[in-house]
Amino acid sequence: MMSRHLVVMNVNGKRCRLRVESRERLLDVLRERLGLTSVKEGCGTGDCGACIVILNGRIVNSCLMLAVQARNAKIETVEGLGTDKKLHPLQKAFIRHSAAQCGYCTPAMILTAKNLLEKNSRPSREQIRNAISGSLCRCTGYVKIVDAIQDAAAEMSGETVG
Amino acid sequence: MAELAEAEKFLVVGKKAERLDSLAKVLGKAKYAADSIPQNALHLKVLRSRVPHAILKGLVAPKRRRAVKAFITAKDIPGINVSSCIIPDRPLIAQDRVRSVADILAVAVAEDPDVAADFLESVQVKYESLPVLYSPFESMKSGSAKIHDSGNVARHLQLRKGNVERGFEQADVILSETYSTQFQEAAPIEPEAGFAVPGPRGSVIAVGSMQNPFYVRSAVARILGVPEEKVRVIQASTGGAFGAKSDEVAMDIAALTALTALKTRRPAALIYTREESMILHSKRHPFTIKHKTGATKDGKLTAAEIKLVADTGAYASNGPLVVVRALFHATGPYVVPNVKMDAYCVYTNNTIAGSFRGFGSPQAHFAAECQMDALAEKLDLDPIDFRLKNILRPGSETATGQVLDSSVGLEECIAEVRAASEWNRKRSAWRQESGRKRRGIGVALLYHGNSIGPEGIDRSSANLTIDEKGRVTLRIGLTEYGTGARSGLAQIASEVIGVPLSQIVIAPADTETCPDSGGTFASRTVVMGGNAVRNAATALRKKLDEVASQLLQCDIGLVEIHEGVVQRRDDPTRKITFRNLVRSCLRRKVNLSETGDFTATGVSFDERTSQGVPYLQYTFGAIVAEVEVDRFFGTVIPLKLTTAYDVGRAINPLSIEGQIEGGAAQALGYALMEELVHRNGGVVNASLRDYYLPTSLDVPEVESFIVERPGVLGPYGAKSMGEPPIDAPAPALVNAIAHAVGVRIKSLPATAEKILLALEASRT
Repeated sequence: MMSRHLVVMNVNGKRCRLRVESRERLLDVLRERLGLTSVKEGCGTGDCGACIVILNGRIVNSCLMLAVQARNAKIETVEGLGTDKKLHPLQKAFIRHSAAQCGYCTPAMILTAKNLLEKNSRPSREQIRNAISGSLCRCTGYVKIVDAIQDAAAEMSGETVG
Repeated sequence: MAELAEAEKFLVVGKKAERLDSLAKVLGKAKYAADSIPQNALHLKVLRSRVPHAILKGLVAPKRRRAVKAFITAKDIPGINVSSCIIPDRPLIAQDRVRSVADILAVAVAEDPDVAADFLESVQVKYESLPVLYSPFESMKSGSAKIHDSGNVARHLQLRKGNVERGFEQADVILSETYSTQFQEAAPIEPEAGFAVPGPRGSVIAVGSMQNPFYVRSAVARILGVPEEKVRVIQASTGGAFGAKSDEVAMDIAALTALTALKTRRPAALIYTREESMILHSKRHPFTIKHKTGATKDGKLTAAEIKLVADTGAYASNGPLVVVRALFHATGPYVVPNVKMDAYCVYTNNTIAGSFRGFGSPQAHFAAECQMDALAEKLDLDPIDFRLKNILRPGSETATGQVLDSSVGLEECIAEVRAASEWNRKRSAWRQESGRKRRGIGVALLYHGNSIGPEGIDRSSANLTIDEKGRVTLRIGLTEYGTGARSGLAQIASEVIGVPLSQIVIAPADTETCPDSGGTFASRTVVMGGNAVRNAATALRKKLDEVASQLLQCDIGLVEIHEGVVQRRDDPTRKITFRNLVRSCLRRKVNLSETGDFTATGVSFDERTSQGVPYLQYTFGAIVAEVEVDRFFGTVIPLKLTTAYDVGRAINPLSIEGQIEGGAAQALGYALMEELVHRNGGVVNASLRDYYLPTSLDVPEVESFIVERPGVLGPYGAKSMGEPPIDAPAPALVNAIAHAVGVRIKSLPATAEKILLALEASRT
C-alpha cells in the first residue's frame, strides 16, 4: 500500500489541497492533477530545465522535487503570469522578438527571466545568459531570448521600447 | 540594392513579423502531445534489445498480472511489420533477428507506465549472438557478416566530371586528407510522444509529435492492415524536430498506440523518456570523407577526388538519400573542373542514422571547408583570397555540370563577413599572439541545394478558405515544429489577398482536413508550400477582385485590397471593407475556398555520372568564426560568429535570423562538444547529463547579414533557410582553432582532448 500525504500548496495564487503518493514528483502533480501543462518534461534528470517553476521565490526543476517537498510552498507557473488580454511584459517581448520557436522551453525561460528581473531589474546580457543557463533551448541559439528579456527589463523599468 | 528596393513593394512579405503561434506558446497554452492525453488512456512501454546483433530465439513473458492490459510482440501485428523510410528493411517490432540496441522487441500496456515498465523488466529474451559490426569499414570488408541479406552497402553512387588524372597533372600542389564526423543527436527539447483514440468501424485517430502526418498515416495503415481512410493523423504542437521526427520514430509511436487502441478499445499513449528518444530516433550520420585536391600555385582548383562513407546504422532510414545530398555538396561551393566522387551508405550494428537538419551537407561542408583552409595554408594564400579565386558565381558550372543562373550571392556574402568581422586586421594581428590563450579567426563558405531535388517528386498543395467574418484559414499538410515557416506561409497569403496577418488562421496539420503537401523536410515549407499558398491566394484574389470591381464600378485592375480595406486605385474614397466584400461574394454564391498546387520541374541528372541539375536553386552563405583557445587545457571559447546568407528573398527576416542563430548554436555543439558515443553497438551517453548541448553560456553573439539574390523556385525568389545555417559554422570554428594554435582537427567534435593531443604531437 502506498502512503498518501496531504499537501497544501499555493499555486498561482490559489490554495490547493491534495493527497499525493510519496513517490509523486512535483512535475506530475502540477501537470496531471492541476492541469498546468505549461510545465514540461524534457529529460526527467534536471538537465534541460523545461520543468522549471518558481517555488518560494526561487527557480527549481520540478522533475527533481517530490510533491511532498513542496508542502506549504508558493508556486508560480506561466499559467499564472498573464492572459491573452493582459500579457506580462516578458510574454510580449518574447512575441515581439520571436524568442519562442518550438516553444517547449519557453514557459521555463519566461519564469527564469521573471525571477531574475525581480532580483535585478536591469541585468546585462551576460547576467541574463548566466540566469538562463539552466534551461536548454535547441532552436534559438539563445540570442532572441536574451534580446527579449533585455527588452522586457527596459519596459518594466519604465523605459520606452524602441 | 535593386532587390531591396523591390522589397518595398511588398506590404507583408519581407517585413519582420510576429509569428502566429507565439501567443499560445508564451501563455503555455500550446498543446504538445503529452499535454492532451485522454484521462482514461492506457500507457505503453517498449522493450529494446539488450544486444546489438543476434538471432532472436524467443521471448518469455511472465504470467500477466491484471494490471498489465496487453503484451504485444511481432506476431500481434495485423498488417505488414515494416516501419522504415526508403528501404523496407526495418520491422516495427523485431521478429527473429535484432540488428541494434534500438530494435523494439515487445510492448507492454498498463494503466500506469511504471507498471508496464516493471513487467518488461521481467521478460526474458533469448539471444544467439552474431558478430557485431560497429564500423562501416568493417561492414564493407568481404567476408563480414551480412546485416541484411542484400549486403552491407545500402547504396553506392558516383559522380564523374572531366578527367581527374589530367586535373591532378595540371596541379602544382596536391593535398590528401581524411576527415571524420560523429553521430550527432538532434535533441529536440520535447522527447517524442503520441496517443491514439479508437473510433467507429475500426477507425483510429493518432495524435503526435511529428513532422510528416501523411507519411505516418501510410505507415500506420500498412502496419494495421487497414485502408488509409481508417486512419486519421493529427500533429500536436511539436517541440523541436530537426529531422529526427521525420523518420521512423513518429511512425513507430503512432502505429504502436493505434494498434493498442484498436486492440483494447481504449485510448493509448506512448511517451518516450529522454534516453529512449536518444536511442530510438535517427541521428546524424557519421561520415569518413577522404579528399584529394589539386590546385595550381596561383590558387586555382584543378581536380578533386572524394570518397564518402556514411554509417547508417542497422537500418537504412533516409541514409540512401543523405549520401545523395552529401555527394552533391562535397566539393563545397567552388568551380572544380575535374571531379571524381564515390559515396557509400553502409549498414553497421549501431543505432540508426537518418534525417537531421542538413542531411549530409554539414558533413560534406566540414570536410570540404577544412580541406580548402589546409590548401590555402599550403599555397601560402589568405583563406578568403584563395576561396575567392574558386567560388561559384553567376554563370559558374558546379561539380554536376549545372550552369548557375544569376541567383548566386556568395561573393556578396563573403564581402559582408570579411568587412564586419575585420578579417584582414585580425587575421594578421592574431597570428602574432603569444602566451597561453590565443585568439584565432576562421572562415567557411556554403551552398545548399533547395528542397528535395534528386530525392523524389516535389509537389505541394495548400487550401485557403475565407469565412463570412473575413478570416482566412490556411490548411496545409506541412507542419510547424519551431522554424516559423508556417507563419511565413501566412505572410504570403496575407500579401496576396490583402488581409492583415492577424486575420489568417493556420489550421493544425491533420490528414483529414489538410491537403497532402509532401514532407516537412529539406527546408521546403516556404519554397514549395509557399508556391502552393501563393497559387491558392492568387485564385482567391481573382474572385475577390471580380466582385469588388462590380461593387466599386471599376476596372478589375483598379481594385486594391490591403489591411482589410478594398478601394479603387484611381479614387481611394470609393471603398468598402473586406468583410463586406466577402459577404457580397458569399451572397453571389462565389466559392471562397481555393486549393493551390505546385510541382517543381527541371531536376534531372545522370545516375551513372551524377551530371545534370540536381537542385533548381541554391542558398549560399559565408561564416567567420572567432575563438580563443587555451593552449594548456585545449579548451575553446567561441567569441563571435559573423554570418551572411543569400536567402533569395527574406519572407520574414525575424524568422530567418532565428534560423541563423539557432543553426549556429547547433553547429557549435556539432563542432566542439556533441557526440553520441557508440561502443560495441551500445550507446554510452544517452542522457542530457552525458551528452552536452550548448547552453546560453556556450553560444556567442551571432551577427547576421541577409543578402537577397532571388531564386527561380521559391515564391518571390525565396530560398530555403531552415537547414543551411547548420552547414558551415563547424568548419569555420575548426579553421579558427587552426589559426589560433596551428593545429588542424580533422575529426569532429574538436574537443579539448583532441586539441591537446594535436598540440602535443605538433611539438615533437
